[in-house]
Amino acid sequence: MAINVSECQAVKVIAVDGSIDGKTAPEVQGEILPAVAGIDRVILDLSQVDYMSSAGLRMLLTLYRQFQARKGRIALVGVSEEIQDVMSHTGFIGFFALADTLEEAVALLEGTS
Amino acid sequence: MSATRFPADLAALAPLRDLVKQRADAAGLSTSRGYRLMLAVDEVATNIVLHGYQENGLEGHLDVSVEVTEDNELVVCLEDDAVAFDPRSLEGPDAEDLSIPLEERDEGGLGIMLAMDGVDRFDYERVGERNRNTFAVRLKE
Repeated sequence: MAINVSECQAVKVIAVDGSIDGKTAPEVQGEILPAVAGIDRVILDLSQVDYMSSAGLRMLLTLYRQFQARKGRIALVGVSEEIQDVMSHTGFIGFFALADTLEEAVALLEGTS
Repeated sequence: MSATRFPADLAALAPLRDLVKQRADAAGLSTSRGYRLMLAVDEVATNIVLHGYQENGLEGHLDVSVEVTEDNELVVCLEDDAVAFDPRSLEGPDAEDLSIPLEERDEGGLGIMLAMDGVDRFDYERVGERNRNTFAVRLKE
């Protein structure tokens, strides 16, 4: 599991590489939370995440609540079909902006698409 | 049926999933059904490690076997020596719970719900001092 922080058109992008499970979710969360402190828009690039269990959903829930509290928004990029199925089954999917590309995610966050 | 033994540690989840995925692929299960089976086993194994072993100060193993039965089912059997626990006794969220906005949502029970919903049949038995969790998916005729 690896985390890479970059920017796309002045929006912070956090890319996760690997599986998000009961072992790695707390590690991923521990790296993401400080990286998003105080910002109101973030793109989470999950295109290199091949697996996410309920531990990953709980991490998304924690992130969502932090952003919701400061009226911020989160966009997810490259979510695999299998992970989208799980997010849909658990009623998570409607609370996140989902995009195929970083540019599309930026547009969603800026409300221009 | 020979079992593969993993230490009861969260670090064992990835190799455990790899084993299930490999056997699901070999049995010809579709990608999406193989993923749901792998997720089901992973969720229950996570619960066993955290709540069965670690919370009780116990160490031990997860024994996993995978076979295709005469009834054309792919069956994963997950056994442990932790405290008795039947995942079916946990009440997962219902449709109403899942329609609650995320900011007000109770985050418990999602894993077990995904496990129960991810397979065609789930069974739990206490066999002597062991827990046996059985996950079965039908293969195409």
